Amino acid sequence: MLDVRDLDAGHGDIRVLSGVSLSIGPGEIVALLGPNGAGKSTLLNTVAGLLRPRRGSVTFEGEDLHRLRPHLVVERGVALVPEGRRLFGSMSVEDNLELGAFAPRARTTRRAGLERVYALFPDLQGRRRQLVRALSGGQQQMVAVGRALMTSPRLLMLDEPSLGIAPRLVGSIMDALVEINRGGVAVFLVEQNVQAALGLAHRAYVLESGRIALQGRAAELARDPHVRRAYLGPLAMRQ
Amino acid sequence: MTRPTARGEQRWATVILAGLGLLLLLPLVVSREDVVNFVFLILLSITLAQSWNIVAGYAGQVNLGHAAFFGLGALVARTLWIDGQPIVVAMVAGAAIATLFALLIGVAAFRLRGAYFAIGTLALGEILRTTVGNVLPEISTLPARTIATYRLTQRYYLALALAAVSMLVVAVLAGSRLGLGMRAIREDEEAAEASGVGALRLKLTALALSTGLAGLAGGLFAFYHISYYPSHPFGPHWTFDALLMTFIGGVGTLHGPVLGAVIYVVLKEYVALRWVDFHLLIFGAVFIAIVLMLPGGLVQAAERARRLITR
Amino acid sequence: MSVLAQQLLLGLLIGGLYGVAAAGLSLVFGVMKVLDVAHGELIMLGGYAAYFAVALLGLDPFLSLLVVLPLSLLLGVALYGGLFGFVVRADEETRVKNSLLIGFGLALALHALAVRLWTADERSIVSPYAGAVLSVGNLSIPVIRLASLTIAFALIGSLHLLLVRWRWGKAIRATAEDWQAALLTGIDVRRAYLLAFAIGTALAGAAGTLVTVGYSVSPSIGLEWTLKALIVVVLAGLGSMLGTFVGGLLLGVAEAASAAAFGGPYREVVGLVIFVVVLVIRPRGLFGR
Repeated sequence: MLDVRDLDAGHGDIRVLSGVSLSIGPGEIVALLGPNGAGKSTLLNTVAGLLRPRRGSVTFEGEDLHRLRPHLVVERGVALVPEGRRLFGSMSVEDNLELGAFAPRARTTRRAGLERVYALFPDLQGRRRQLVRALSGGQQQMVAVGRALMTSPRLLMLDEPSLGIAPRLVGSIMDALVEINRGGVAVFLVEQNVQAALGLAHRAYVLESGRIALQGRAAELARDPHVRRAYLGPLAMRQ
Repeated sequence: MTRPTARGEQRWATVILAGLGLLLLLPLVVSREDVVNFVFLILLSITLAQSWNIVAGYAGQVNLGHAAFFGLGALVARTLWIDGQPIVVAMVAGAAIATLFALLIGVAAFRLRGAYFAIGTLALGEILRTTVGNVLPEISTLPARTIATYRLTQRYYLALALAAVSMLVVAVLAGSRLGLGMRAIREDEEAAEASGVGALRLKLTALALSTGLAGLAGGLFAFYHISYYPSHPFGPHWTFDALLMTFIGGVGTLHGPVLGAVIYVVLKEYVALRWVDFHLLIFGAVFIAIVLMLPGGLVQAAERARRLITR
Repeated sequence: MSVLAQQLLLGLLIGGLYGVAAAGLSLVFGVMKVLDVAHGELIMLGGYAAYFAVALLGLDPFLSLLVVLPLSLLLGVALYGGLFGFVVRADEETRVKNSLLIGFGLALALHALAVRLWTADERSIVSPYAGAVLSVGNLSIPVIRLASLTIAFALIGSLHLLLVRWRWGKAIRATAEDWQAALLTGIDVRRAYLLAFAIGTALAGAAGTLVTVGYSVSPSIGLEWTLKALIVVVLAGLGSMLGTFVGGLLLGVAEAASAAAFGGPYREVVGLVIFVVVLVIRPRGLFGR
């Protein structure tokens, strides 16, 4: 479904990604792991169209994404929940969600989409008129995921969804992702919380210094000694 | 952006100062007053352009009310001079008042983003123009005895001195640590601030130099014209002239404004002859094109050309 | 005492127009960080459009709005497509700088064009109810200016509703807040910019119409009105259209008070003082976020 080939990308003169290749099949949950600064966000931003790659290609269901502007990428069915959520704080929960259905693709399913989001995150229903900036981190994350869902994506990408959220809420976010996946949406997840990510995903990639260092089924990677040492063991806790 | 090297600039500065030195001889060699007059205008324009260049090119701030300082210099100098003060004293006083006003705006506006400084100076210019126009609506004419003793060559040499001063100020600034700091601010204000450059003080210094020079130029204007409306030198087209000349030549370079001044004055004379009514339209369009497509002006174009050739 | 009250009232009446003038500028700057210092010239052009709509088509002065608004919208589209659309290609810092410079050049060029086309003379519209005055106690309220204030308020109210209820209005607000997030949500940010600029220009045209109807128009009002708008934007901050309107009213009253206290010629000075004071005390403006 999503095919990234030999991608070189970065900001200005700095090259962040070198020759990255990965793929995501329909209905999969794929995790992207790696240390800070490895380029995980850059990868997601490039797929989403916020950055233009220097070399390589990004194709989604056979169509080139890397030349499209971000709102057209959304139109094709790829949605990104960016790091830090990037919600429209001065607007209400419902306004934020409805804006998600802005693009023509999603406009027809707006009503149904809203119901689906409220079913997934019942907490939000009671707060639909509240200004988003008055919500807690966890609730904001729900709005962010909901807003991306409203675009009717076939691939949902998330950049560090558990960042800055109370640990007990992380679980419910992850549960929601499973639920979303069951509905037929592929999920591409960048996560610091490696344990949660590997528990959720079918497959995973490890990105280090701009290159893919490891890849495989999530269960295998969870047992991999390098992964355990760097990301799961006591050393990882200190990071 | 392709910039000329420091040495290249110093070479230009020497050439220009030498040229100015040669111009000392002009009134002795040429007897036609209109030629001397024409060169006078160029010299005044050089000072005006360089003064704007200091804040824009070296401290990266856009001053949209430059005419305010030109006008204040003219107003104060004219008043004091007609009152009996020697012209140089009057001019210096004018420059001092101009700088004072500038620092007032600068201290308030510089703490914030660049747009506030531009708005503030624009406001200062326009409000001064309107207020001076209201308070002094009548034309200011020199008393008869002064007109009788009017000598163009005096004005000419003063303009020459001022142009040389402005060149020297910019040259010294460009080479100094002060100038380096200012350039750092222009490139990236946050980074410069973080590395301890003391942005506010540098910006205010640049502002003081810039508006001081503009004030002196205004004083020269007051010395030169026999009669004019007191609000005239506060008009925005003086600001625009300074902007345009600097941009044509190259903002932030040593020789750019000189180049721009010469080209502009010559072109304006030509355009004024043929297309009087459209002169501002034409120059407005030229200016917009330069800002969008060739922000470094002719100097940048020349640099690019030279690099292409020597490759 | 009643003379002062009368002066303050007149200041209030023109303050509403300051508010409309500022709203257009504030919208454009808030959404795309373009500071169009030619905004006043757009007001001036709107004023001339109204003048000619009345003079040539014989329209009722206030009805000329129906002609000026669509024309201004089109002008906004043209200006964005032909000029400011290029300015937004750069990063925010460069955008502001470039828009200042370009706006300045554009302002002078438009001013020169207006002088060339219509001479520097002032023009005003004479309408059948021009001299009508409403007497309330000791105050006489010129009916036309009162109507202008009402229309100004209606315009601001409509703008507010547009931004809050209309789909693209919300998109514009979202873009103003975080353009990258807006893109990721599927909003075509460039289209949002275009709409915002067109609406801003339409507001300028409307302000110009009200100026011509209640006062007079000439090429030189351009820079003057850019200034009023800028000072109100600094005073009120960005983000609230209603706040901008109130800011306009405040400036109008302050100017009237200044003229009453120090004499007519010093009316404008208070604007500059306000500017400096607001910057020193509360850089975000009175109502801004």
